[in-house]
Amino acid sequence: MSKRTEEYLSGVPMKRYDLLREILIVLAVIAVIVIVLASVLGSPDYPTVRAEDVANLQPIAYLQTSATILAGNSSIQHYGPPYTADRDNAQHLFRQAPANWFGVSIPLDPAQDFILKPLARVSILDENVTGALKTYQAASTDQQQAWLSAYLAALDNATAVDGQVQIPSGDYGPVSTMMDSMLALGRAGLLEGALDSNVRQPFESDFTQSLLFFQDNVVASAAEKLDLTSDQWGILHETGNYPGAWWLFPFAFLYHVPPMNNSSNADIQAIFIISMVFLFLLFLPVVPIFNRLPRWLGVYKLIWRDWYSRKKPPGGGEA
Amino acid sequence: MNLTEKARQMLARNLPLEDALPTEMPTYVNSVAYLFGAATLAALAMLIVTGGILTLFGPGWHHVSDVGRFVDALHFWSAQAFFASLAAHMATKFFQAAWRHNRWKTWVLGLLTFGVAVFAGLTGYLSQTNFDSQWASVQAKDAMNSVGLGRFFNTMNLGQVLTLHVAVLPAIIVLLVGLHLFFVRRDGPVLPIGERDEQAH
Repeated sequence: MSKRTEEYLSGVPMKRYDLLREILIVLAVIAVIVIVLASVLGSPDYPTVRAEDVANLQPIAYLQTSATILAGNSSIQHYGPPYTADRDNAQHLFRQAPANWFGVSIPLDPAQDFILKPLARVSILDENVTGALKTYQAASTDQQQAWLSAYLAALDNATAVDGQVQIPSGDYGPVSTMMDSMLALGRAGLLEGALDSNVRQPFESDFTQSLLFFQDNVVASAAEKLDLTSDQWGILHETGNYPGAWWLFPFAFLYHVPPMNNSSNADIQAIFIISMVFLFLLFLPVVPIFNRLPRWLGVYKLIWRDWYSRKKPPGGGEA
Repeated sequence: MNLTEKARQMLARNLPLEDALPTEMPTYVNSVAYLFGAATLAALAMLIVTGGILTLFGPGWHHVSDVGRFVDALHFWSAQAFFASLAAHMATKFFQAAWRHNRWKTWVLGLLTFGVAVFAGLTGYLSQTNFDSQWASVQAKDAMNSVGLGRFFNTMNLGQVLTLHVAVLPAIIVLLVGLHLFFVRRDGPVLPIGERDEQAH
C-alpha cells in the first residue's frame, strides 16, 4: 500500500477483497444480460429510403422533390455555411453565428449539383435530355421558373397508375423531359451514384448529396411515420421501439420548452444551454452550495448505511 | 535524466501494485453502488470486442449476415448497458460527493469520458447504415452546423463518421478511462460523508 493510501485510510477497518474476481463476475453478468437481450430482441435495422424505392412507389413525390430542388426551393439552396454563402440563414446566439466563422467548406448548389449535373451525365445516353438541357439553360431565369411553377402546380393534380405518372398537359417547356429523365435515373437505382460520385471515383465514402436529396419531405415523412421526429422525441428511441440515445433526454427536452420549441435558432440555443450544464457539472466540486447538495439529499446514508449503522450517525446528515 | 527511472519512481510512488490490484478494501466499500463503475468497464469491454468484430467485417456486414446481425445486436445492447451503467455510476458518485478529499480529477475525467461517449454514440448511430442513420445524419447536421462544427465534422460523410467511431473516439475513451482508473486506484475510495469533513475540499 502506498504511503498516500496508508495515511488516508489510517484507522479505517479493512476487509479481504478480490478486485479481479469482482470484475470478472460483473463482466459475466453484463455479458449474460447483453447476450440475452441481443438473442431475444435483436437490434434495429430498418431499411433506408432509396431513390429507387421512392421513384417506384411514390413517383409524384420524387418528381416534386426534383422539381422543387431545380426551382431553387430546397432547404439547402440558401442554407448558409458550410454549404452555401448565404450568411443570413446561419443560426445565431448573442449576435454570433459560429457557422459563418468558418465559411463554406462543402460547397453545394442543389439545382446544379442535384439535378443539372446528373442530367448532364444522362444526356450522353439520351439525346432528348441533351436537347432539353440546352433549351432549359438557354432560357431566362423567369422562363425557367415559369415552366417549373406550372409543372409543380400540375403535379398537385397528377396521378400515378401502375407507376406511370399522368400529368395534366401544360406549358412545361423542357422540364417534363428533364423530370422524366430524373425519374428514370431513380428507377434505375443510379441517382445516389450520380449524386455522390466524385473525382476520386470509384472510391466514395461521402454521401452528403444523396442524403440531402430527399431530406426535406420524403425522408422526413418516413421519419414521422416511424415516430422519429424531434416532436416525437425521436432521439430517445430507434425504429421498432428500440431504445435510442435516451441519455440525451436533457438535450431533447430543451427542444420542447421555450424558446427552443419555437425558434429558428433552436439548435445553437439548446447546445449552448447543455454545454453550460456540462461545464457546471464539470466544475461542481468547487461550486459553493451546490457541491454540498449530496449532503442535503442524504442518499449517501443509504449507500453507506452499513458503515453508519456501526458508527454514530453523522450529525443529522450535516456532518 | 533517466526517463525510465523517473517513470518507475512515479509509478512506485503513486500506484504500487498493492494499490493497483488491491486484496483488501475499506469496510465502508460495501454497497451495490460500487459495482456500477465495474459494470461500465465491463460494458466498454463488450463494446470494444463486438465493435472490433464488426469492424473486421465492414459496415454492411450486419445487413447481409445472420452472424453479423447478432454481433450488431450484441454491440447495440452493449452500448445500452454501457450508458445505463455509466448513468448509475455517475449518479451514485454524485450522491456520494465523490469529488471530496481532492478527488476532483477523477470526477472531471469521468464526466469528460461521458461527453466523448455521447459523440461515440452519435457516430455509432450514423454508422449503422440503416434508416435511423439516414434520418439522424440529416438531423444532426443542423446541430453541428449551428455551432460551426459542421466545418470539421460532416455527419453525412460515412468515411469520417466511421473513422471517428471505430478509431479516434474509442482511443480517447480508453485513454480517459485509463487516467480515471489511475486516479481511482491511486487515491482509493473516498471516505463516507462525515468522515474527516475538515479535509473534504
